[in-house]
Amino acid sequence: MTMLPKPQPGAKKLGLVIDLDTCVGCHACAVSCKEWNTQGEAGILPDYDRYGPKPDGVWLNRVHSYETETQGCSRTVNLPRSCLHCEDALCVTVCPTGASYKRAEDGIVLIDPEICIGCKLCSWACPYGARELDETNGIMRKCTLCVDRINDDSLPAAEREPACVAACPSRARHFGDLADPDSEVSQLVAQRGGADLMADLGYRPTNKYLPPRRASIPTPPASEPEKPALGIGSALLRLLDRTLSR
Amino acid sequence: MHWMNSSAGLIIAAKTIRIRPACPVRTVAKTTCYMCACRCGIKVHLQDGKLRYIEGNRDHPVNRGVLCAKGSAGIMTALSPARLTSPLKRVGPRGSGSFTAISWDEALQIATRRLQAIRATDPNRLAFYTGRDQSQSLTGHFARMFGTRNYAAHGGFCSVNMAAAGLYSVGGSFWEFGEPDWEHARLLLLFGVAEDHDSNPIKLGLGKLKERGAKIISVNPVRTGYSAIADEFVAIRPGTDGLFVLALVHCLLEAGSIDTEFLVRYSNAHHLVIHAPGDADHGLIARDAAGRELTYDRKTAALADADAPGIDPALLGDFALADGRRARPAFALLAERYSRREYAPEAVAANCGIEAPTIRRIAAEIAEIAFRQAVVLDQPWIDTAGRRHASMVGRPVAMHAMRGIAAHSNGFQTCRAIHVLQMLIGAIDTPGSWRYKSPYPKPVPGGPPPGRATAPGSALDAPPLGFPMGPEDLLVDEDGEALRLDRAFSWEAPLAIHGLMHMAIARAFEAGASKVDTLFLFMANMAWNSAMNPRETTRMLSECDAEGNYRIPFVIVADAFSSETVAYADLVLPDTTYLERYDCISLLDRPIGSAHGPADAIRIPVLAPGRDVRPFQDVLIELAGRLGLDDFADADGRPLYSSYADYIVRHQRKPGVGPLAGFRGRGGDEAGTGAPNPEQLRRYVENGSFWMHELPPEQLYFKHANRAYLTGAKAMGFIESDARIVLGLYCEPLQRFRLAAQGHGPRQPPSRLRARVARFFDPLPFWFVPLEEEMTDRSRFPLHAITQRPMAMYHSWGSQNAWLRQILPENRLYLHRELARSIGVTDEDWVWVRSRSGNLRCQVRTMTGVNRSTVWTWNAVGKRAGAWALHRDAPESRRGFILNHVISEFLPRQGAASPASNSDPVTGQAAWFDLTVAIERCGPEVPTETAPRLGANPLRLVGAPEPERRSER
Amino acid sequence: MRPSASVLLLTTLTGGGYGLLAWIGAGAALQLLPASRPLALGGIALALALASAGLLASTFHLGRPERAWRAFSQWRSSWLSREGVASVLAYPVTIAFAIAVYQHPHGIPARVLGAAAALASAGTVFCTAMIYASLKPIRQWHNPHTAPGYLIHAVFSGAVLLALLSTAVLGVPGTAAAAAAVSAAVALAAKALYWRHIDRQSPLATLAHAIGLPRDTEVKPLDAPHFTENYILREMGFAVARRHAARLRRLAVALAFALPAALSILAGLRVMPLALTSAAAACALLGLLTERWLFFAEATHVSALYYGRPV
Ligand SMILES: Nc1nc2c(c(=O)[nH]1)N[C@H]1C(S)=C(S)[C@@H](COP(=O)(O)OP(=O)(O)OC[C@H]3O[C@@H](n4cnc5c(=O)[nH]c(N)nc54)[C@H](O)[C@@H]3O)O[C@H]1N2
Ligand SMILES: Nc1nc2c(c(=O)[nH]1)N[C@H]1C(S)=C(S)[C@@H](COP(=O)(O)OP(=O)(O)OC[C@H]3O[C@@H](n4cnc5c(=O)[nH]c(N)nc54)[C@H](O)[C@@H]3O)O[C@H]1N2
Ligand code: SF4
Ligand code: SF4
Ligand code: SF4
Ligand code: SF4
Ligand code: SF4
Ligand SMILES: [Mo]
Repeated sequence: MTMLPKPQPGAKKLGLVIDLDTCVGCHACAVSCKEWNTQGEAGILPDYDRYGPKPDGVWLNRVHSYETETQGCSRTVNLPRSCLHCEDALCVTVCPTGASYKRAEDGIVLIDPEICIGCKLCSWACPYGARELDETNGIMRKCTLCVDRINDDSLPAAEREPACVAACPSRARHFGDLADPDSEVSQLVAQRGGADLMADLGYRPTNKYLPPRRASIPTPPASEPEKPALGIGSALLRLLDRTLSR
Repeated sequence: MHWMNSSAGLIIAAKTIRIRPACPVRTVAKTTCYMCACRCGIKVHLQDGKLRYIEGNRDHPVNRGVLCAKGSAGIMTALSPARLTSPLKRVGPRGSGSFTAISWDEALQIATRRLQAIRATDPNRLAFYTGRDQSQSLTGHFARMFGTRNYAAHGGFCSVNMAAAGLYSVGGSFWEFGEPDWEHARLLLLFGVAEDHDSNPIKLGLGKLKERGAKIISVNPVRTGYSAIADEFVAIRPGTDGLFVLALVHCLLEAGSIDTEFLVRYSNAHHLVIHAPGDADHGLIARDAAGRELTYDRKTAALADADAPGIDPALLGDFALADGRRARPAFALLAERYSRREYAPEAVAANCGIEAPTIRRIAAEIAEIAFRQAVVLDQPWIDTAGRRHASMVGRPVAMHAMRGIAAHSNGFQTCRAIHVLQMLIGAIDTPGSWRYKSPYPKPVPGGPPPGRATAPGSALDAPPLGFPMGPEDLLVDEDGEALRLDRAFSWEAPLAIHGLMHMAIARAFEAGASKVDTLFLFMANMAWNSAMNPRETTRMLSECDAEGNYRIPFVIVADAFSSETVAYADLVLPDTTYLERYDCISLLDRPIGSAHGPADAIRIPVLAPGRDVRPFQDVLIELAGRLGLDDFADADGRPLYSSYADYIVRHQRKPGVGPLAGFRGRGGDEAGTGAPNPEQLRRYVENGSFWMHELPPEQLYFKHANRAYLTGAKAMGFIESDARIVLGLYCEPLQRFRLAAQGHGPRQPPSRLRARVARFFDPLPFWFVPLEEEMTDRSRFPLHAITQRPMAMYHSWGSQNAWLRQILPENRLYLHRELARSIGVTDEDWVWVRSRSGNLRCQVRTMTGVNRSTVWTWNAVGKRAGAWALHRDAPESRRGFILNHVISEFLPRQGAASPASNSDPVTGQAAWFDLTVAIERCGPEVPTETAPRLGANPLRLVGAPEPERRSER
Repeated sequence: MRPSASVLLLTTLTGGGYGLLAWIGAGAALQLLPASRPLALGGIALALALASAGLLASTFHLGRPERAWRAFSQWRSSWLSREGVASVLAYPVTIAFAIAVYQHPHGIPARVLGAAAALASAGTVFCTAMIYASLKPIRQWHNPHTAPGYLIHAVFSGAVLLALLSTAVLGVPGTAAAAAAVSAAVALAAKALYWRHIDRQSPLATLAHAIGLPRDTEVKPLDAPHFTENYILREMGFAVARRHAARLRRLAVALAFALPAALSILAGLRVMPLALTSAAAACALLGLLTERWLFFAEATHVSALYYGRPV
C-alpha cells in the first residue's frame, strides 16, 4: 500500500545518525552492508562483471568524499549515502504496485521484491540516489535499515543494530528511534545540530548528519610563550636551578 | 530465481515482520581476520559449508566487534578466481606464466633435493625472504636451523625505521608496538599516518578522542582519511618532519617546558657524556669501574652512580671525570644543540612549508596540555627504585607516527627526534600519552646480536636477525664488506634489524650463482608492488648469464593467489587462504597485545580448501623434517611435528616458552610460560581464538620503571631481567659506530663508507636532506611523489576481490589545484610523471588538501595485465598504475662500487618516499592506457585451456 | 535522465493515439465530424492501435513485465498506476463509442460516448504527464509546463493524424488541416515557453546543501564511491552537451511543428493532400520523438549532485 501511513501516536521513527566529524571514509559500512544483504552468493545485491573491465554492482550504501571550504577553513568531508527513510517519501507514493512501502510502526521504507515490477519510478522520485535497480532480478533495491537484524530477537540485544552500524570502526554511525526525544540519537542530533540533507525538498528525512566540529578541549596556551631567546633559554635555566630527585 | 531463497530476500518481502529463522543450519566459528595484518577477531557464519557472513567479534581486544571494509569483503576473497589450485612447476621461460601442475610429493622432493645440496655446501646460498606473514617466529627459526644468514621478513621495506628508532630509544616503538592512550589523551599528534597496521584500533581510538573533544593534529602532506577528521592539518613538505619536530623541541627548550623530573628518573638525560675529542671513547657515557653510568650529583657535588635514587643530578654543566677529562650531561648536549638558531621555527619554516607562528603555536599547545592540563589518576604504584607513588601523573600529549616518517632515508633520525620530543615532555607510557603495548617495553636495545657463524650442514649460532650494539656485532668480512646478501648489519646498514628485503633480488642478481642458489619467497609480491622498480626486478629474475642459465638459479614462491610474482617462480607452493588453515599470531613475533595487556591469537580452518593446496607452515615444517633440521627432526632424522597445529602446541623456544602464551601448563591455567598443554588449541577456540592477560591497574603505566609490571613481564618470559629500562635520550650505540668511522677500534668501515657512517650515526637526532633528494637535480625534478594506503584495499591482494575492486579498480595521481593550473592540467587529464629512474603515464585529479610541492596516489592499485585472474582489459592494468615504476632500489651510482641502496643509511629502510619527479601534460592525442605496461603474463596451465572468466553481463 | 526507447515510444504513440481519439470523440460530440463512418471508425481503430502499441512498448521498460498487472493497484497515490487504470478504462468507452458511431454517427449515444472517449483520452494523457510532473527531484519535469505540454502535444499529433485520415478517406483534409496547423503553432508556443522556463530555472540544490552543510560552504568532489559507472549515474547522470541539445531543439522545432504546419496548410490548399498530410504526420512523429528524447536528456536529477554532475 503506497499511501504513506498516518502518523500514529507513539510510533517509532527508526533511523541512522551519521557523524561527518568522525567519518574517515573507510567504506566499512558500505561493504558490510553489501555483505549482510548478500549473504555470500545469494545474490540479493548482484555484481556485474566481477573480474572484468567494468566492475559494477548494486550497493545500498556508498561513501563519497568531498573537499569543503568555509570562511578560509577547508577540510575533507566523507559522506556515506544510503536511504534516509524519509517521512514524506515520494518514492513510496509514486510506486504503482505497492511494492514500495513505509511501515507505520517504525517508519522504515522497504521494497517488497515479490511485488516490484522494476519500473524504476521510485528511483526517479528519490533525490538522494538511494535506490538502485537490481538488473539481474529486475527489481529495485534499497537500504532496509537491516530490518532483518534489528527485529531478529534470536540475536543478542546488543547485535540488533544495522550491519553498517556494527561495523563502523570509528563509531561514526548511530542507530535509534528519532521519535523519542530522549533516545541517544535524538540527544546527539540536539547537541550537535544534526542536519537534514536537502531539507527544503521537503522529504523530511529521518536520518540525520552531524556536521564537522572543532575540538572542545582548550589547547591555545593560557599565556603567551616566552619571547624567543637564542642560546639556552632563561626559562630553561630557571627550571634547571630547581633541585631534582632521581 | 536464486534471490528468492535468500532469507534476507524473504524478509524484505515481508509486510508483517517475518524474521529469518536464526539460520538453523548455521554454524558460527570465531577466528582471526587476515584481510590485513591488523588481526581483528571475527565471527564466521557458515551455512551448509558455504560462507555466509563475517562479522566482528565484540569480545575481541583488537577490534571490539567492528570490521573494516576489507574484513567484510573476506567473503569474496574466499571465492577469488585467483586462488592457486595446485603445486606448479615452470615449463615456459621465467615470467611467461606457463606452468604444469604437479603433485605435492613431487614439489616437496624438488625442494628437498635442492635445499639438501645447498645445506651440504654453503647454507647461505639459500635466501629466504617472507612478507607480512605472521609466522616469522617459525620462518626465522627455520632459517636459523637451516643455517642461512640470508633471511628477513618485510620490515626492511616497510617500517624498520620506526622499530629501530623506537627500540634503540625507548625499548618500544610506534608501528603496532605502541598506542596512544585513547582514554586520556587531550592532544594527539599524528605524523605521517594514513591507515597503519592498527587499522581498526586507531579508528576506534580516533572516535574516542572525538567523543571527548580532544584535539587531533595531523602532520601530513595529504588531507584524507585520518587527516580528514583531524582538527588541524599541517601540510608538511615530505621529508622535513625532523626539522619540524626539532623546531618544536627548540621552542619547548626556550620556554623551559621540559619534564626534568621525568628525564632524570627514566632517561639517560643526566648521564655524563665523555668530552674528549680524538679519544676512542669520546661521546660515550662515562662509567665507573663497575661499569655503572655516572652522573654529577648536585647534592654531594660529586660524581655519582646515575642510577642511585635520591641524588640531584645535574642536567647542565661541564664536569671533570676521575681521570681529569671533561664530561657533560647528555641533556646539556641536547639543549645546546637544539637551542641553536638553525632549529628556530623561523629557520625551518620555509623548508618544511609550515609558517613559523604555526610551529610556535603548536609547541605552546603541547606545553599547555602537557604541563597545565596534566592527567592525574589516583592509582598508587611502585617504581623500580622501590618508591611508592600515590598517583599516576601523566602528560596527555600522545603521538603516533608511521610510514610518512619511516619511508624516508632520514626516517631513523626523524623518528628518534619524535621520541626525544616525547621524552622531553615526559610523555612515554604515562596517562594520556603514547603507551607501550605489552610485551613491550624491552631493554634498550633489546635482544642478542644477529647470528654470524654458519657451517655446512649446521645451524646458525643465533637468530639471523638481531640487535647490534656496536661494530663488533656487524656481519662483515675482514675488508669490512657485507656477509649477508642484502648487506644488512654491514656498514651500509648497521642497524638493519629487519634486513633489506627490497635488495634481495638485486643483490642476488649481482652476486650470481656462487653466492645464491635458491631464492625462496613467501607471501610477498616481490615482482610488483614490493619491488622498488618492477621492470628492473622482473628483468633480474628472468635474465640469463653467458651459459644461458638464469642469474638467479632457482626461485621458489609460496603464494595463495596468482600474483605478479608467481609467474617468475620455478616452483610454486600453493598456500591456503586465511579461513582454511591454522595460524599463530605469537608474542615471539608480531603481537596483538595492547597497553592493557599482552595478547596473542590463532586462526583456525573454517573452510575446506577443495583445492590441492596446503598451509605453507605445514609444508615448511614437513620440509624442515625432510631436511632433518634440529628442532624439527629428532636425532635419527625423524620429523618431530606432524603439522603446524602440532608445532604450535608442542614447540618450545626456551623451556616453558612456546608460540602461544595462553593456557599453558598441564592444566592450561599458566600464562606466558608453562609446560606445553595438549589442550591449548581447544582452549583458544573456546575463548574466541585469542588469549589476553589483563594487566592490573597499577601496572598500566610507567611500564619501563614499574616494578610490578617488570616483575610480571619477566615471570611471563617477555624480558630476561626486571631491571629498570632506561630511556635513551642519548643513543650511545650510534656513537660506537661513529667512533669506528673516525678511526677507532679494530673494526672500521671501508673507506668509501667512513664519512657516511661518521655523519649519520649521530647519538642525538638531526635532520638531513633525504639522500635521493640530495643526489637529484631539484630543478629537473621539483616535486615530491608519495603514496598512501587506501582504507578499502590491502596492497596487491585487494583487486582480486569482486567488491573491493568496485571501490578502487583504478587510481589517479592527485595534485594541488594551483600546481595543476601551473602545468595546465585539470581533473582526468593525462600526464607524464618523470623521475631519474623512469617515466610513468597516468591521469590526474586535483585537490586542495595537499602540500603544494607534492603529488600522491593510492598504493598498489595498478596491476600487471593478466595477473590476479583479472580480465586483460581490467581497469587495474589499463588505467591503474603503481608509482614503483619511477622508483629505484639504488641511489645514483657514485664511482666504481656498485650503487648504494636507496635506503636509510642507519637501518637500511627502503626510502620509498624520497622520490622526486617532474610532471608534464600528455599530448596532443589523448592516451587510453597508463604506461609503462609490462606484457600480460596470466597464469597458464600447460595442457589446460585458458581459464574462462566469470562475467555476469 | 537517460532517454529509453520504450518510454519515448510510450509517450509519443499514446500521445498521438489519444490525441486522435480526442478529436474524433469531441468531433462526434459536437457534430463537427463529416458524416463519414469510415473516417470515424478508421480514426478510432488507428487511435486504439497507436495507444495499444505505446502501452505495449512501455512494458519493455519494466524489469518484471510479467508482473505488469500489479501496476493497476495503487491508483490512489501513484500517477503511473492511474495512467494504467485510465488507459484500460479508455478501451470499453472507445469500443462502445465505435459501436454507437457505427449504428448512428449522429445519434445521441455516439455524441455522449464521443465526449466520454475524448475525456478518457485526455485523462490518460494527463496521467502520463503527471508521472513526470510529480517528480520533485527533476526540475525540468516538476513544473507547471509539463502537464499542459503533454496535452497540447497530444492534441497536435492527433490533429495531424486526423488530417491524414480525412485525406485518406475523403480525399481532402478539410478543416482538419487547419486544426493541425493551428495546434502546431500552439504546441510550438508551449514548447518554447517550456524551454524558456527550464533554461531560466536555478538548480534545486547546491552540493553543500546536498551533504547537509551550510549553504555558503564551497564543496568540491574528491573521490566518488566507485570508479566505474553505476545505476544512478547511468540512469540519472545522463547529460547532453549544450550545443548538441540546441541543435536538437532546432531539429525538433522544424520536424515536429514548423514542417507539419506548413505541409498541412499546403494540403489544406489541396496541394498533393495525401502526400503532404502523410509527410506532415511522419515529420510530426519523428519530431515529437526528438522532442521527447530532449525532454529526458535535458532533464537533470538532483541526486547526480553527489557525483559532482551539473543539475
Ligand atoms: N587498508 C590498508 N591498511 C594497511 C595497508 C594497506 O595496504 N591497506 N598496509 C599495511 C602496511 S604493510 C603498512 S606498512 C601500514 C602503513 O600504514 P601507514 O603508515 O599509514 O602507511 P602509508 O599509507 O604509506 O602512510 C603514509 C602516510 O604518510 C604521509 N607522508 C608521506 N611522506 C610524509 C612525510 O614526509 N611526512 C609526513 N608527516 N607524512 C608523510 C602520506 O601522505 C600518508 O598519509 O599500513 C598497513 N595497513
Ligand atoms: N610505492 C610504494 N611501494 C610500496 C609501499 C608504498 O608505500 N609505496 N609500501 C611497502 C610496504 S610497507 C610493504 S609492507 C610492501 C607490501 O608489498 P608485498 O609484501 O608484496 O605485499 P602484498 O602486495 O600484500 O603481497 C603479498 C603477497 O602475498 C600473497 N598472499 C596473500 N595472502 C596469502 C596467504 O594467505 N598465503 C600466502 N602464502 N600468500 C598470500 C599475495 O598473493 C601477494 O602475492 O609494499 C611496499 N611497497
Ligand atoms: S564505516 Fe564509519 S567511518 Fe567508515 S565510511 Fe562508514 S561511516 Fe565513515
Ligand atoms: S531516501 Fe529516497 S528512497 Fe529513502 S525514503 Fe527518502 S526518498 Fe525514499
Ligand atoms: S521499481 Fe518497484 S518499487 Fe519502485 S516504483 Fe516500480 S514497482 Fe515500485
Ligand atoms: S542499515 Fe543495513 S541496509 Fe541500510 S545501509 Fe546500513 S547495512 Fe545497509
Ligand atoms: S583491519 Fe580489517 S582487514 Fe585488517 S584484520 Fe581487521 S577487519 Fe581484517
Ligand atoms: Mo608494510
